[in-house]
Amino acid sequence: MKLMHALTILTCAALLLGSAQREQRSRTVTGTIRGRIDVRTSGTTELRPDVAALGMHAAHDRPDRRRSVVYLETAPRGAFDPSEEPRASMDQLNENFVPHVLPIIAGTTVDFPNDDATYHSVFSLSKAKPFNLGRYAAGRSKSVRFDQPGIVRVFCDIHSHMNAFILVFAHRYFTVTDDDGRYRLPNVPAGSYTLTVWNETVRGDAPRRAIAIAAEGADVDADFTIR
Amino acid sequence: MRRARVLLATLSLALMGTRAGSAQSLPSGPLELANGQVTVAADIAATIGARDDAAPPECPRRCGAFFNYTDYEHNALRMFRVSFSGAWRPSRRLAFLTEIRSEDRERFRPYALYVRVRPWTTHAFDVQAGRIPPVFGAYSRHVYGPDNWLIGQPLAYQYLTSLRPSAIPASADDLLVMRGRGWLARYPVGSPASGPGVPIISAYQWDVGIEASVATKHIDAAAAVTSGTLSNPRVDDDNDGRQISARVGWKPVVGLVIGGSYAHGEWLNGALRDSLSSVIHSGQRYPQEAFGLDAEYSRDYWLVRGEFIRSRWRLPALSSPFIHGPLDATAAFVESRYRFTPRLFAAARLDGLRFSRISGEKVFSGVPTTWDAPVGRVEAGGGVYIQRNLTVRAVVQRNWRDGGFIHKRTFVSGQIAFWF
Repeated sequence: MKLMHALTILTCAALLLGSAQREQRSRTVTGTIRGRIDVRTSGTTELRPDVAALGMHAAHDRPDRRRSVVYLETAPRGAFDPSEEPRASMDQLNENFVPHVLPIIAGTTVDFPNDDATYHSVFSLSKAKPFNLGRYAAGRSKSVRFDQPGIVRVFCDIHSHMNAFILVFAHRYFTVTDDDGRYRLPNVPAGSYTLTVWNETVRGDAPRRAIAIAAEGADVDADFTIR
Repeated sequence: MRRARVLLATLSLALMGTRAGSAQSLPSGPLELANGQVTVAADIAATIGARDDAAPPECPRRCGAFFNYTDYEHNALRMFRVSFSGAWRPSRRLAFLTEIRSEDRERFRPYALYVRVRPWTTHAFDVQAGRIPPVFGAYSRHVYGPDNWLIGQPLAYQYLTSLRPSAIPASADDLLVMRGRGWLARYPVGSPASGPGVPIISAYQWDVGIEASVATKHIDAAAAVTSGTLSNPRVDDDNDGRQISARVGWKPVVGLVIGGSYAHGEWLNGALRDSLSSVIHSGQRYPQEAFGLDAEYSRDYWLVRGEFIRSRWRLPALSSPFIHGPLDATAAFVESRYRFTPRLFAAARLDGLRFSRISGEKVFSGVPTTWDAPVGRVEAGGGVYIQRNLTVRAVVQRNWRDGGFIHKRTFVSGQIAFWF
């Protein structure tokens, strides 16, 4: 009986503590980091010269190499808390991976549906997650779970011009720019951070900047130019 | 500390070493100039392997097997090959394309140089003129680095038969003497110098002419008129003859391609014909004619493809014992690749080349014998993708030939290939 009492007390204490922590979290002051990434390098990705072809290659979509990923280099406490198993999708459409840049949190399962009328063969040789889905036809989809943070470069074995990037983060403080290069990173707890920009055209060190979210919470603007 | 942060992040974002190239440190795509209008790509392969021109003790003179020679000097299993291709697309309807290639550090030679026109941008109809890719078959339009899983080439596209367009046998005996010696054949009629024979289809030279192609969802078709022939593509026309070639491809389901090809063209050198004007009829034609079937099927981690080619050459019948009728050659190969992991693959090719029979008098005592020595080949190997466009391959190739001084030979060859 004593044991039962002890367990009951412990359980109640744990529940009360958890509730207090949730309340504390909900009261946490946060701010939003926003801005624009101006990418001024070439935005085209051409096919290899198809010298051996009997005619022009069928038109295909081109990836938007101006998409950037903005993320906090150091993440606030709680950013690594496990949540439900997230899911994302990288489509194969008109001989192009859509989206071309996909940032995800570790543990995400990414679906690779083939929405073209031809075979695709999605693979990656990246250290973070090497995989090879083989050839599969239109209407079919295969999935890969990404558990380890890193950059995963994705290719099609059949169409050499097809490539994409999956950026796997250990925390959830990241976002991708929109068509105009704008981004918004909401709910960042007050504190000092290093904000970093990843873009595939950047060679060398990634652009980064020290950012501070005030104790009372506020929005912070941070623009970058990538040449 | 309410705002305490976790500095774990290095973990995640070592991630981000933030270099695009963390998984791909060498160039992965073509160089782009003029806002993408001009693209330049390269295909480099360095191959090591044993020599194939060494004379074994039983040979009376220099008599290597020459199984993989593409001419008398170049061996496909020990070749350093560099090619650059370029395209300039000034508009959606127009493109200029070229490829230059160097083998074994010799000077670069133009391999392709042509203009491509698409009259209607809404229709997949193209016209190409200049030094154009061959219409016949499928293999010769493969890009060596990414599309050739093994190191050697199929016999039909590489192995040198004993036929030459500039020198011909006067009799069946002259031809039979040269069985299995296509790398350096010599005949009494025409050019007196020894020279390499021709393969059924040359994968090492493209023809000059004009080609038109059309493509729909399930069918594609192309036809070309060129100055040379499959076995002897030419920049300059040496016989006032034209080759007509065509291919129709059918894609009944995704992953399966079936093609049928035909070619017919005047083959014999014009100067040689002129020298025989007193003994052959002026209207008589000596063409190379060929039929081909090709197929490719892929699924999951498998890719299988193959070709069947039947070629026929006609030669003047000059002296007894006469070469009656055309000289036929039949080639077939099937090859397959399996990708075990993202990096590791294995491939194999089974290949054969057969010839029709003729009868001499002195040579083979008049017994009907194939006009060239039949050849068989098995090549198997595997490779590792260091990067998507950088592979290391190794193969073992076994050759059999029913003729010549050397009947069997096995080669081991290794290659590093890079392309962008």
